[in-house]
Amino acid sequence: MASEERGRGRLLHNMPGLLQASLNPWLVRVRNNPERLAFVLHRVTGVIILAYLVAHIFVTSATVDEALWESVMGALSGPLSRVGEWIVAGAVIFHGLNGIRLILVEFLGLGVGRPERPKPPYVPPSLRSGQRKGLYLVFALSLAGWALAGVIMFAG
Amino acid sequence: MRASTLQLLQYLSAMALVVLLGFHIIERVPGLSPLTPESYEESLSYEVVRRAYKEYWWVLALLLAAALFHGLNGLRGILLEWRPAAHRVINLVFVAAFIALLAYGLRTIALHLAG
Repeated sequence: MASEERGRGRLLHNMPGLLQASLNPWLVRVRNNPERLAFVLHRVTGVIILAYLVAHIFVTSATVDEALWESVMGALSGPLSRVGEWIVAGAVIFHGLNGIRLILVEFLGLGVGRPERPKPPYVPPSLRSGQRKGLYLVFALSLAGWALAGVIMFAG
Repeated sequence: MRASTLQLLQYLSAMALVVLLGFHIIERVPGLSPLTPESYEESLSYEVVRRAYKEYWWVLALLLAAALFHGLNGLRGILLEWRPAAHRVINLVFVAAFIALLAYGLRTIALHLAG
C-alpha cells in the first residue's frame, strides 16, 4: 500500500479501498444484504460487458470483407469462445434486469417510501419486503435467463 | 458537462439500451429474428450480418453510441471512486476513448453502406 502514503491517500486512511468497498462482498462485513451483492455483481458484469463491447467493435470491423469475416468467425468458434460468450450473455442478462430495477427504484423512485426516523433496530427501506422481493426477483430471473441463453447457444 | 447531466444521460442511455440491445440480440435468435437466419450458427453468416448492416444501420449506430457512452461513463465512475485526485486524467481518457471507439465503429457501418 505504498500509494496510501502519498498526499491524498493519507486523508482517505479510514476509507476502505476500492476492492474492499465495492468489488469484494466477502471483505466487507455485512450480513443478509442482497443489495450489496447486486451492487457488486452490477459492477463486475458492467466491466465484463464493456470489455466485450470494445472487443466486439474491433471484431465486427472484419465484416467489411467476406473472407476475413469467415476466418475470424472460424477462429472464434471453439468451445472456449462459446463458454466466454455464455458468460457475457449471463452478464448482460443480470446487468439488464438489475438495471431495470435500478431505473424503477432510483430514477423513478418507485417503492422508496417517505423519509423516516431511523429508529433502532434500523432496517433500510432497500432491504425491506418490497425492495427485497425486487432483488430476489432479479436474481431468480437472471439465473433462469442465463440457463435459457445456454440452451439457445449450445443446443440451438 | 455537469456530473448530474452525465448521470441523467447514464439513465437515459440505459433505457435506450434496453430497447436497442434487446433488438440486437433478438436479431440472432432463429424464429424471432427479422433477418430470418435458419439457426444460431447461421445468424452470423456473412449474408445475414451484411443484411443487418444494410437494413438496420441506424439501430447499430444508435446502439454503438448509447452502449459506448453507458459503458465508458460507468467505468469513469469506478475510476473516479478509486482515484478521486486523478479526475482530470480520467475525464480526458473517457472523452478520448468515447470519440475514438465511436469513430471506429461508425467507420465499419459507413464502409458497409458505401460498398
